Amino acid sequence: MDANQGFFTTRVDAVMNWARSNSLMPMPMGLACCAIEMMAFAGPKYDSARYGSEAMRFSPRQADLMLVAGWCSYKMAHAVRRVWDQMPDPKWCIAIGACASTGGMHRCYGVVQGIDNFLPVDVYVPGCPPRPEAISHALLDIQEKIRNDYTLANDYSIGEDAPPVPANRPKVLTGSGQQSISPEALYQQDDA
Amino acid sequence: MRDDAKNVADKTVPHREDEALKFYFTPTDPPGDTSDNPHAKASTQVADVIDALREEFGEPAIGEMRVYAGEHEVVVDRFRTIEVCRYLKEEQGFDYLSALGGVDRFVEGDRFEVVYNLLSLDDAKRIRLRVRVDEDDLTVPSISSVFRSATWHEREVYDMLGIRFDGHPDLRRMFMPEDFEYYPQRKEFPLLGVPGSLPLPPQTPEGDLTMDPFAAAHGSKPRESFDEPKSDFEQSL
Repeated sequence: MDANQGFFTTRVDAVMNWARSNSLMPMPMGLACCAIEMMAFAGPKYDSARYGSEAMRFSPRQADLMLVAGWCSYKMAHAVRRVWDQMPDPKWCIAIGACASTGGMHRCYGVVQGIDNFLPVDVYVPGCPPRPEAISHALLDIQEKIRNDYTLANDYSIGEDAPPVPANRPKVLTGSGQQSISPEALYQQDDA
Repeated sequence: MRDDAKNVADKTVPHREDEALKFYFTPTDPPGDTSDNPHAKASTQVADVIDALREEFGEPAIGEMRVYAGEHEVVVDRFRTIEVCRYLKEEQGFDYLSALGGVDRFVEGDRFEVVYNLLSLDDAKRIRLRVRVDEDDLTVPSISSVFRSATWHEREVYDMLGIRFDGHPDLRRMFMPEDFEYYPQRKEFPLLGVPGSLPLPPQTPEGDLTMDPFAAAHGSKPRESFDEPKSDFEQSL
């Protein structure tokens, strides 16, 4: 194959993580009003289908991203944790809204003061409720984390240390394969 | 030409009121005695009903009529609650229990209070009954035999204040877990709860319950699932 045709090298990990990050299947755990914003995030206007995660899985066994939207009571926490335990690895969690992140305005006996008391949360979304764009941004953050953090080869479950996070995403190479394209070049008009 | 056609139509088709185009507006609730509450409505001023109650049940059962915020209310003896409610429902037309709640007055005698808000849909009148109960004998007769909708309200009052309702078909906690030992709407209950009374789920699938309600603030971080210890089942494989 002619090197001038344009190609890029990658790792199996990067391909797997690319596929995984662009086909996240969210488990909607809508507990309160933030769930309405979560629906808007999944609906046509804000359209999480752009990021490949429009397919809400109402079975935890088919999901790999849990969206906890709204305040979580102590009674509900056990159900949320049970659903989380049923999700297959690897899995990620977004706490949507002030209540899911910290308890929010519900500083009282019945509401868990942040779901990170019993769930490993990856991304916290502030807001009361957050805009759907903020949830989209959280999803992009999760995608970023998947591409950079998790590797198939060094599965943490077999006890290896996590690899260092790559400094950058895989670089797009020029046609000659010699140097990477600068971000400015991508926006320049081609005169030819 | 068109007028002619219209006249013909008027003569041949009999005039008929279209039922579908009728609107039934809810009559406005006129303002009542607004001496201390500008929002007081005339529908809540039911001195005649309270007089009828006193004639029917007598003085000890029906207390003095009180005016609170321009609205009339009456204290009822707790052992006559069912009779009073049935009388109001069947004789006075108060056919709808719009709310039932509990109050912790936090006083020496007759500490707790159950409040019944009844509504007459036909006459558009509202009456508020108060039933006082002492801490030593926290039992109020259930009015679920008169108003079926009272069952959940009474469960809620039982859950939040611990007032037991005699004759309730299914008196369980409404919101809090079944094994919760406290009544959280009582005044002495701390706002953030009693630590350890409401356990959080375990941090790993087979771990122990998390007793600290502020585990994250105290440095605990739930483990990622790939970091969890092997379960008994996995170890047996």
